[in-house]
Amino acid sequence: MTANGQVNSGEDFGRFIDLRKGWVDRRIFSDEKIYQRELQQIFARSWNFVAHESQLPRAGDFLTTYMGEDPVIVARQRDQSIKVFINSCPHRGNRVCFADAGNARRFVCNYHGWAFDTAGKLSGMHAEYAYDENDIDKSQTRMQPVAKVAAYKGLVFATFDPDTPSLDDWLGDFRWYLDMLLDNEEGGTEFIGGCIRSEFPANWKFGAENFVGDAYHAGWTHDSGARATTGGIPFPDIDMENSFHSSVNGHGWEFGTEGVGDISLLGSPAVMEYYEKLRPKMADRLGKMRSQIWGSVASVSLFPNISFLPGISTFRIWLPKGPEKFELRTWVIVNKAMPEDLKREITKRVMLTFGPGGLFEMDDGENWSNCTTVNRGEVTRRQLLHYGSGISRRVDDHPILPGTVFRGQYSDANQRLFYERWVDLMEAKSVKDLPQRPEPRMTGRETRELVGVSAL
Amino acid sequence: MASTYPSSDGSVVDRSDLVFLCPVDDVVEGEPLAVEVEGCPPLAVYRIGEQYFVTSNVCTHSYSLLTEGYQEGDQIECAVHGGTFDIRTGEATAFPCQEPLVTYPVTVVDGRIGIPTAGIS
Repeated sequence: MTANGQVNSGEDFGRFIDLRKGWVDRRIFSDEKIYQRELQQIFARSWNFVAHESQLPRAGDFLTTYMGEDPVIVARQRDQSIKVFINSCPHRGNRVCFADAGNARRFVCNYHGWAFDTAGKLSGMHAEYAYDENDIDKSQTRMQPVAKVAAYKGLVFATFDPDTPSLDDWLGDFRWYLDMLLDNEEGGTEFIGGCIRSEFPANWKFGAENFVGDAYHAGWTHDSGARATTGGIPFPDIDMENSFHSSVNGHGWEFGTEGVGDISLLGSPAVMEYYEKLRPKMADRLGKMRSQIWGSVASVSLFPNISFLPGISTFRIWLPKGPEKFELRTWVIVNKAMPEDLKREITKRVMLTFGPGGLFEMDDGENWSNCTTVNRGEVTRRQLLHYGSGISRRVDDHPILPGTVFRGQYSDANQRLFYERWVDLMEAKSVKDLPQRPEPRMTGRETRELVGVSAL
Repeated sequence: MASTYPSSDGSVVDRSDLVFLCPVDDVVEGEPLAVEVEGCPPLAVYRIGEQYFVTSNVCTHSYSLLTEGYQEGDQIECAVHGGTFDIRTGEATAFPCQEPLVTYPVTVVDGRIGIPTAGIS
């Protein structure tokens, strides 16, 4: 198959993806117009991850991050709410806060001394006599707030679009899966240590689609890393009968049910022991099936650019910085209830495996970078890319697993469904009209209570 | 019953020459109190240990009430730009504040905080 024609923003993006046959047009990884359209249609309208609540425990605690390419300040208020607003002065546009994180009583712009409270509202200016009575309405002047902020079990999200569906609807039945990370033990989770940032000369979607479903690369790309952490044992063959891809609204979790694959990659007996003791309690809390999925070879992305490895404890976002560059931000996520020495052990092991110089992290960047730059080639890009693995393995009406389920962990299913959601957003005039993919089973329900449907 | 009392600046003042702002019990260290009295500019009342102080409540840099800021020991930090003043003397102690604050000698009479009527413009 070949791809032809000019890229035109504002129309048929479905032609870049062939879900039925399993093809993806290479131009989505480097075309500047498509990238600009992604910023407008996807990042300006999605629920972007902005913080874990544990990063902002006290009033005045703040951090700076990005929603798409828009810089934002995320700040805890005196009333305990979290406000998110664009880190740009409404006077000349200068960046107001230059720190990564901290505790602040105010934010003051470097340029003319315009001062803002921790909610982003203008509180005063230097030499205010420059303004006559009717020159400026201070009460209406502020750093631009986002439309909505919401949290799911510790993860804080924000969106610029008031029409974006509620966070519960956006996550939908994927909450059933997320609870394995966020609610597997009383007390929930926290981020520990700081944020590690690194830049990759690659398209942001390569990170997101890798984590959404690509178990397949691990046995080849990460062979040396796996042997290093397991004492010489190569990546195990996958049980294709008892492993799955599951997708909800473009979010995807690929997983086995053997319970130990990902945990063992940390190479820490103490971590293995902790989770083995926790597993029966997790079965009481979340049901048997989820307790068996947890810790297996698995990877996860939330649409559009949030990823984590359950059991390995790296949590990350792929921030777009142009069609051929992204900034990776990573944190270590642990259970609050864990003993302090175990949290330190996990942090160390995450650095060894998925830090910027980690045994596994280094393997991926080079592949994604070459995928990006090579796909740019004038003739190269006319050939469509193959995304057809497991295309006929859909499992309809799985008795336990919510979402669109495909059998077999080595598969392109979640990747195809990630790109289906990409098309949804790229084409939707209003995010009010976004379809649920698939129809949810659990709307309005607390997913932790769904333990009745848990026999394997 | 005595009608003269010692003031915080060392002078002795007559009760009838004082305007009373609030009971001392209303003033908590670290939480300066804004006081509005007929005929007075906005005032801020502070406690440091067992002592009480009164200053103008308006930052001399750019309009803001200092009681919306942050007291740390004998310093008051303006909420807006973070400039500071010495609560005891009114001296401007951090950028961007330059002009000192007006301060008022405090006399405590029967558990109430008073400042001289004559000091009010």
